[in-house]
Amino acid sequence: MKLLNIAWRNVFRHTRRTIITAAAISVGLSSMIFMNTMMNGADKMASRNIIDFETSHLEVFAKDYYREEGVFPLDTIIENPRYIADGIKDIPGIKGITPRVKFQASISNGIDELPVLGMGIDIENDRRIFETGNSVVAGRYLQNSGDVLIGTDLANDMSLEVGSYITIITKDRNGTYNAFDLEVAGLLNTGHPLFDRNMAVIPIAQAQELLAIEEGVTEMCIRAIDEETLGPLKEKVSEEIGAQYEVFTWKEMNAAIFEISGFKRAGQFMIGLVVVIIAAVGIINTMLMAVMERIPEIGTLKAMGFTNSRIVRMFIYEGGIIGAFGSALGCLIGLLISIYLVHVGLDFSGLFENVDIVYPMKFIIKGEIDYVNMLYVFLFGILVSVIVTLWPVRKATKLEPVDALRHV
Amino acid sequence: MIETIDLHKDYRIGKVLFPALRGIDMKIEDGEFTAIAGPSGSGKTTLLNIIGCLDVPTRGKILIDGTNINELSSRRKAELRKTQIGFVFQTFNLIPVLTAYENVELPLVLLNLEPDKKKERIVAILEEVGLGEFIGRRPNEMSGGQQQRVAIARALVKEPTMVLADEPTANLDSTTAKEILALMQELNEKHGTTFIFSTHDQLVMDYSRRTINLRDGRIVEDKRKPKGPR
Repeated sequence: MKLLNIAWRNVFRHTRRTIITAAAISVGLSSMIFMNTMMNGADKMASRNIIDFETSHLEVFAKDYYREEGVFPLDTIIENPRYIADGIKDIPGIKGITPRVKFQASISNGIDELPVLGMGIDIENDRRIFETGNSVVAGRYLQNSGDVLIGTDLANDMSLEVGSYITIITKDRNGTYNAFDLEVAGLLNTGHPLFDRNMAVIPIAQAQELLAIEEGVTEMCIRAIDEETLGPLKEKVSEEIGAQYEVFTWKEMNAAIFEISGFKRAGQFMIGLVVVIIAAVGIINTMLMAVMERIPEIGTLKAMGFTNSRIVRMFIYEGGIIGAFGSALGCLIGLLISIYLVHVGLDFSGLFENVDIVYPMKFIIKGEIDYVNMLYVFLFGILVSVIVTLWPVRKATKLEPVDALRHV
Repeated sequence: MIETIDLHKDYRIGKVLFPALRGIDMKIEDGEFTAIAGPSGSGKTTLLNIIGCLDVPTRGKILIDGTNINELSSRRKAELRKTQIGFVFQTFNLIPVLTAYENVELPLVLLNLEPDKKKERIVAILEEVGLGEFIGRRPNEMSGGQQQRVAIARALVKEPTMVLADEPTANLDSTTAKEILALMQELNEKHGTTFIFSTHDQLVMDYSRRTINLRDGRIVEDKRKPKGPR
């Protein structure tokens, strides 16, 4: 207790030096928190976009359908979706099931033709599971055969508006070209680039007709009640429907995105490390000065019978106190920045306009605060301060008391 | 009792070997009030440091109560300093961030005393050195004489068997120096603590009952008188 007390007072012997050192630490830590908040926000947005628009929590495919992303073969589809729906509807933990038909197509406004991803949805069921129905910003949701929903970006690209007519063209299961005229019923603004830029959403019956697949669908989307524990649910579904079908979680299907996320985090860690090293050099410098200018004091303490370990502890407390100040300040600044990011977000849209990205989100990134991470950052700051203090303090312990006393 | 037998200490400064002590043989009984005098460079600080277990001799023996302290580990030496030996320095060496009370408390941090007893001792010794009203002051709020009084209180608070004072009055004016010496003499008589000073100050020698004169690392004179002036 006494040692801590002495250390505390020594910290305030040079208030300005302490403040500058603590500030260096706080800048390092707050930038770590800032980056973490952004990464979390980006990952959360991407995850939400995938779950709420693209795949929901689990997807069932016919065996060998799902080979890679962006390929939609029609030779291996679910021929009898009702069988699956009936088979699994009583499994506890399932909130809803809806079929979808995805296909490669192109749409034409009479002048230009653009490739899109066609998607047939069950009009009523789909909106219970996905947010697509709640993202119609102009016009209305699908009602009748002949309606199509397209993204706002696609509408801009092709100069389309609500009520415009387009032609959708695709190859059916037999390899024959097939086309329908559709009326734009509504415009979607989902925040998911795939949906806003490249998607034509039509009633599922029409898609089945267009592709000549009868009752078949390409996938069944399952929404779980608890999205944290999808593994057991996947097992149960898998068991129920048998080996001619495959079940994937949304994470499995988007492994590439989480791989990118892993890279980003590694990058974030490296940047954080560099910043912390800079801050650590600050502490080393401050503690080195503290030791050097207090050598006669150290000699006096040794003459009194203070052991090296007590003296080291005193300096460690000192480094730790400075570190704690810096860490607390850093976390506070990081928290304030994070709160701003959560409510306002950072707008990268000007920077990345028309750049195609893998990451399924738009470029207004809103932060997501991770308080546990913040606690770790706080403790990390103190730990680093304490560890780097050991090096200058070694100098103090190596001194013989006579030499320390003689030192002026 | 402190006894030295043929004590030698050499310092190596660069390539030159500098003999600081060249064969010191002496005995200091418990409760003595002894000055080690001599010009600078005569080896008095070195001798004090060796007695105080802060330094080791190159050759020879130093026995404290019959124990050869050269043979002790540094931990045992620290232990000895902690319990048996109090130091007073020329430059006072108080810890600037601590108050008078806290500076005196510092040696007791190492001893397991009950808080009440500790406090009692600190207050008593500070009153004894005449600083009863200054216990809350920091070193930079006190005069040199007051600081040295705190240092003396700090040396005595753990009730050591000896106090070693290296040039205790060198940084003080002569009036203050007299007061400090008178105080130490009084404490020596009252507590029976052995006091050993190094000094080149005639005043200190006047107060001491025994003066060991050093020159070039040898004892040239060892004179005793009944009692110093009060």
